[in-house]
Amino acid sequence: MPIALLSPALLMVGLLFVYPLLFSLAYAFRNEATGAWGLVNFEKAFELYSNDILYTVFILVLATVLTGLFAVAIGGYLTLGENRRTVAILRWLYRWPLFIPMVVAGQLMRTFLAKNGMLNNGLMSLGLIEPINAVSMLDWRGVVITFVWKQLPFAALLISGAMASMDRSMIESARNLGASRFHALVEIVIPQVKASIAVSLILSFVTMLSALSVPMMVIAGSPTMITVDMAWRVNSYSDYGVANALGFISCAMSGVVAWFYLRQSVREQSRIVAK
Amino acid sequence: MKKTYRMLTLSLGVLLSVASTGARSQVTLNVISGGSQNMVDYVTDYLGPLFEKQNPGVKVAVVGVGPDDAGSQKILEKLQAQKAQPQWDVDVIVPNQQKTGEMAQAGLLMKYRDSIATGKYAVSQSSKLALGVNVDGYVMPMFESQTAMAYNPDLVKSPPSSYDELRVWTAKNPKQFGYNGLKNGMSGVAFVVGWMYAYSGNAAALQQGPYDAATKAGWSKAYADLKAFNQGVTFTPGNAGTLDMLNRGEIAMGPVWVDMFYTWKADGRLSPNLKLKLLSPGMPGQPYYYAIPAKAKNAELAKKFIALATSPQVQADGIVKRFNWYPGIDPNAVKSSLDPKAWANLFTDISPADLAKNAKPFPIAPFFTELREGYEKQVGN
Repeated sequence: MPIALLSPALLMVGLLFVYPLLFSLAYAFRNEATGAWGLVNFEKAFELYSNDILYTVFILVLATVLTGLFAVAIGGYLTLGENRRTVAILRWLYRWPLFIPMVVAGQLMRTFLAKNGMLNNGLMSLGLIEPINAVSMLDWRGVVITFVWKQLPFAALLISGAMASMDRSMIESARNLGASRFHALVEIVIPQVKASIAVSLILSFVTMLSALSVPMMVIAGSPTMITVDMAWRVNSYSDYGVANALGFISCAMSGVVAWFYLRQSVREQSRIVAK
Repeated sequence: MKKTYRMLTLSLGVLLSVASTGARSQVTLNVISGGSQNMVDYVTDYLGPLFEKQNPGVKVAVVGVGPDDAGSQKILEKLQAQKAQPQWDVDVIVPNQQKTGEMAQAGLLMKYRDSIATGKYAVSQSSKLALGVNVDGYVMPMFESQTAMAYNPDLVKSPPSSYDELRVWTAKNPKQFGYNGLKNGMSGVAFVVGWMYAYSGNAAALQQGPYDAATKAGWSKAYADLKAFNQGVTFTPGNAGTLDMLNRGEIAMGPVWVDMFYTWKADGRLSPNLKLKLLSPGMPGQPYYYAIPAKAKNAELAKKFIALATSPQVQADGIVKRFNWYPGIDPNAVKSSLDPKAWANLFTDISPADLAKNAKPFPIAPFFTELREGYEKQVGN
């Protein structure tokens, strides 16, 4: 009976998600021209896009690390902050980018970060930079800024939630014994919410990995991220093979991250059991 | 509860009958446009209403799927998906050259040109060959578009007139020339193609064929030079991005689509003093086509629609005057339907003689693919 109740959901997931996923993973190994199976698509993917693959990894790692740092800082301040008003303002403010779609974020940044965009114009009118020194940030920096800006509220929401549900007595005793707020954050709070930090960062990593609109709108020229290359292969050459191979590579990237996460949670599980 | 049910059924019934009577009294002509927003606007604001007025009871529904290969690829996939059906739900398509060739080869298009009155105006080379693929009879060109170098005369007193001069200029003025690379729109692709026409040593073969797989081996010098050239340029985010950066003074020169340039200027979105120049030995341009899917439901109506769209009057008023494209049909037929001033406007910066000499087609399809992949491999990666 439970199976019968589950079957519509299972069928849906199976037909609309698992089947196309396996199909595209498998067809990454197929040579469309000859109909043979092999690594041709991967050879071409590396031959044409090896720089882009490294570039993607670099952007994602940097953006994930920065997201983590800022999210912990926000969560930490919400948990440990002593000025009620600033905590309230921060709590109200930090979630805003959550409601802005990726493509809109990309569009915003495209005009914000341009050479004569709002950021540089602001800095110029404040006298902080000379017009001649203004540089466009429409490259990896722009993408990292957009990703961090977009993913930060999501990560901070999860992390500050976990921090808020912690037992506060330990924080308070540490503070009573003279630990600074920074010490309390690093030594008491973070170790207890490690799992939430990991989950939020893994989900952020995967979201950023799949974003097409942001690199497409923000990065000018090459190298670019592999999602753009996948769209390009399909649109310009009708070449699903290499696009699938690139998709396989991005699945592998998120697979590595997921593996770290699983290993971590298995270890924690066994530690609890051992206790 | 029962009452609510009854009400619901009743209102649903009314709704359905309204919908079906609506459908009976009207025929909908489905148009899919694989162009930029301005090409969709052209049908929504101008051509559609005109056709509806001449044909009472007909409604023109247009969908835009986006420009370049990406948009036209969607049309191709839509037609392919319903290939086995006896009737297809698309009546008129507006695809780009590359994908039109692929559709013609896949047997997805109807041979209709000789059955419409305006067929005789299809005189250009591109109305017979789409990137080397024979499309004679299957298409009517909607318009011809051309890329050219846009520059800011305040910053560039004597603009380069050839690729050679551009290289010298860029070496002296680093980062002042900008283009949108290969993956960010066709004006960047056009610049790269023009570069290869200038330096690959086989421009004529690239444009006319025959295809020879060994040709690409000789391109590495041109690519290496382009890679070195790229060190001194600014990359822009897209066709519109180049115009934006020109307008904000971030670059002084860049390749753009001529029609987009004139339209933006007319809308006040570009500084009025910006100018155009067509580099020698040539930069490519492309037409967009009107075509009818092989099993279109309203094929006769579609023919009528295309006949109107390619009539000299519509080409003059719509294509040239309102949207600043070069006419798709025989220019001599269009010229007589236009006042001399509007005709001259089209050639303000680029003269017909320049066009005749330096306006080129894109390479034939197999070379075009290799040329872009070569760039990705030897310049991009």
